[in-house]
Amino acid sequence: MAADVKPFIGSKASPHQESEAEELRQEHLMLDPMPRNEMNQMVMEAMTTTTRKWWAWVIGLGLAVAVLLVGAWGYMIATGMGVAGIRRPVYWGVFIVTFVFWIGISHAGTFVSAILRVFKAEYRRPFTRAAELMTTFGLAAGAIYPLIHLGRVWVFYWMIPYPNARWLWPNFRSPLVWDFFAITTYLLSSTIYLFLPLIPDMAMARDRSTGWRHFIYKLLALGWRGTEAEWFRLRKAISIFAYAIIPVMFSVHTIVSWDFAVGMVSGWQSSIFGPYFIIGAILSGVSAVVTILYILRSTMKNMDYFIRKEHFDALGKLILVFSMAWAYFFFNEYILAWYGGDAALKQVLTLHATGPSAWVWYTMLICNVAIPWLFLWNKKVRRTPWLMFIITLLVNVGMYAERYTIIPLTLGHQRSPFDWGIYNPTIVEVSIALGTLCLFIFLYLIASRIIPLVPVWEVQEGQMSHTLRKIGKTEIPSVTELE
Amino acid sequence: METNVRMILFKEDQVDQASEAIETLHHHGISDNDISVISGVPFSEKILGRPMSWTRVPQIAVAGALFGFIISMLLNFLVPNLYKLSVGGMPLTPIPTSIVVTFELTMLGLLISTFLGVFIEMLSPSFGPKGYHPKIGDGYIGILFNCPTYADEDTCFELQDLGAEIVDVEEIKQP
Repeated sequence: MAADVKPFIGSKASPHQESEAEELRQEHLMLDPMPRNEMNQMVMEAMTTTTRKWWAWVIGLGLAVAVLLVGAWGYMIATGMGVAGIRRPVYWGVFIVTFVFWIGISHAGTFVSAILRVFKAEYRRPFTRAAELMTTFGLAAGAIYPLIHLGRVWVFYWMIPYPNARWLWPNFRSPLVWDFFAITTYLLSSTIYLFLPLIPDMAMARDRSTGWRHFIYKLLALGWRGTEAEWFRLRKAISIFAYAIIPVMFSVHTIVSWDFAVGMVSGWQSSIFGPYFIIGAILSGVSAVVTILYILRSTMKNMDYFIRKEHFDALGKLILVFSMAWAYFFFNEYILAWYGGDAALKQVLTLHATGPSAWVWYTMLICNVAIPWLFLWNKKVRRTPWLMFIITLLVNVGMYAERYTIIPLTLGHQRSPFDWGIYNPTIVEVSIALGTLCLFIFLYLIASRIIPLVPVWEVQEGQMSHTLRKIGKTEIPSVTELE
Repeated sequence: METNVRMILFKEDQVDQASEAIETLHHHGISDNDISVISGVPFSEKILGRPMSWTRVPQIAVAGALFGFIISMLLNFLVPNLYKLSVGGMPLTPIPTSIVVTFELTMLGLLISTFLGVFIEMLSPSFGPKGYHPKIGDGYIGILFNCPTYADEDTCFELQDLGAEIVDVEEIKQP
C-alpha cells in the first residue's frame, strides 16, 4: 500500500493540483511513501555504515570518557572530596547542577514518545526512538552523579533497603531516597519503553543481517513473527506504557525539585518548584531532541528522507511554547519572592542580577527567553535545520545556567552574611561534567550503529493512514485511524 | 482429517484481497482457529474480518502494580516498626512522605509487569498454524492456514485468483 498510495480521494486531479500534491509529498514524510523493503534497506544501511570518521569519534570519545570521567572521578575517590570546589557554604556544585541537567534532558523521550503518542501527533513517528534513546542515555549519565556526589561511593549500597547487620535503613522521608526510587523507576521503565516498539524492528533487522548482528537481533526480537496476537499485545503494552510513564516522568523531576524545595533555603522553598522544573526539563529535552536530529540528519545515511524540515518546524513551535511557559514560571517565582520583601531572599535575587556571577543569570534569560522568542516565531527560522541546531544548543546552555543559578549561586548567599561565599568549580568537577557529556555522545554513537534509529513499522503505519483528499479546489492531507 | 500447512502472501496494498482470501477460507470450511495472519504493520482484526485476539497483559500489569504497592507498604510502614529510630517530634510512619515511595513502587510494579506480561506471552506456546516468511518484514501480509488435503488444490486456485502468492511449503520457516 505504501508504494501506491492514491494521491487523491475524490475527483480527478488537474496538473496544478498534481504539482501541489508533489509539494505536499516533498514536505510531509507521511505523504511520501516508499516501499517497505526500500525503507528497511535505508535504515539497515544507515545502521551498518561505519566510516573512518565515525571510528575516530568513537575512539576519541572513548578516550575522553576514560580520562575525563573515569580518570577524574578515580582521582577524586583516591584523593578525597577536597579536590572538588564544594565547601562551606556551597555544598552542592557542578555535580548536582549536571545531575539536574541530565535528568531534565531525559524528559525528551517520554514527552515526544508518550505524550505525542497519546495526543496522536503524527509528525512524531520517525524520531520517537531517537528521543527515547536520549532518555535512556541521559538518565544513565545523570544517575552517575548521586554516586559521584556521595564521595564515599563504595558505601552507596547503604541507600538500598535490605536487612543488614548494621540495623541501618534508608530514611524514606528523605528526598534523596525518593530520588533513588524515582530515577530507578524512570530508568527501568524508559528502557523498557524504548525496547517494546523496537521488537518488530529487531525482527526486521534479524531477517536482513548475518553473523553477530543476526545473533543479537534474533535474541532481542523474542521470536517475533508479526501475528495478530503479537501486534495486539504489543499495542496494548505500548498503550499502557504511554499513559503510565507520563506521571512517572512528572514525578521524577518534581522529586528532583523537592531536593531543593523542601530545604529551608532562601530561593528554594517554593511551592511551584515542581512544575517550574518540569517545564524547564521539557524545554531542555525537546531542544536536545532537535540538536540530535540535526546531527543524525547531517551525519547518517538516508536520514534526510525520514527527518524533514516539517519536524524541525513542529518541534520549534513546541520549544517556543515551552519557553513561554518557562518564562511564566520563572516570573511567577521571581515576582512573589521580590514582592514578599524577605530581606535574605531579596539579597539573593539582587545578587543573581548584579553580583559577580550575574552573567550566568543573564545567559539564562537570553538563551531561554530572548533567543527563542526572537527567532522561533519565524517559520523560515524553524525550517532551517542549522539555525535550529544553534538555537537549541543555546537553549540548553541557558538551561544549564538556570540550574547553576538555582544551586551554587543561591547557596552562596544565605541568611547569615558572615557565611557568604563564592563557589568556583575545580578542574576535577568540570572534567567529570564534560566526561558525562562525552559518555552520552559515546553511547549514542554506538547505539546508532546497533539499533534501528527509525521505527520503520510506525512510519509505514503512518504512511498507510495518510492520504491527500480533494475538498473543493484544493487537496488537504487527511488521516485515517487504522487502529 | 489430514491437513497441510499452507501460506499465502499479499502485498501491503492488497489488504482488501487479503480479507477476501480469509472469507474464501471460511467458505472452504477452514475455521478461524486454523488461520493465522502475520504482517509487517499492525492491522486491526476488524480490517481483516478476524476474531479479536486476547491478551492478559492488562491483568498482569494490574497484578504487578498491586505487588509494587504491597512492597511499598512494607517499606513505609513495616520496616520503620521493625527497625525503630525515633527522632524527636517526628512521627515514625508519616503518611504524606510515604506517598512518594508508594507511587514510585506501584508504577514500577505496573510497568515491569507489563513488560513481563508481553515477554511471557511472546514465549508461551500459541495456537494456530505456525510459520514465517522474511517477506513479512518487507510489508507483505501472510496468511497461514491448515488446509484439508482434499480441498488443497481448489483452495489454492481460488486464492491465486485473488492475487495471492502461494509460498512453497519448504519456504515456510520459523524466525
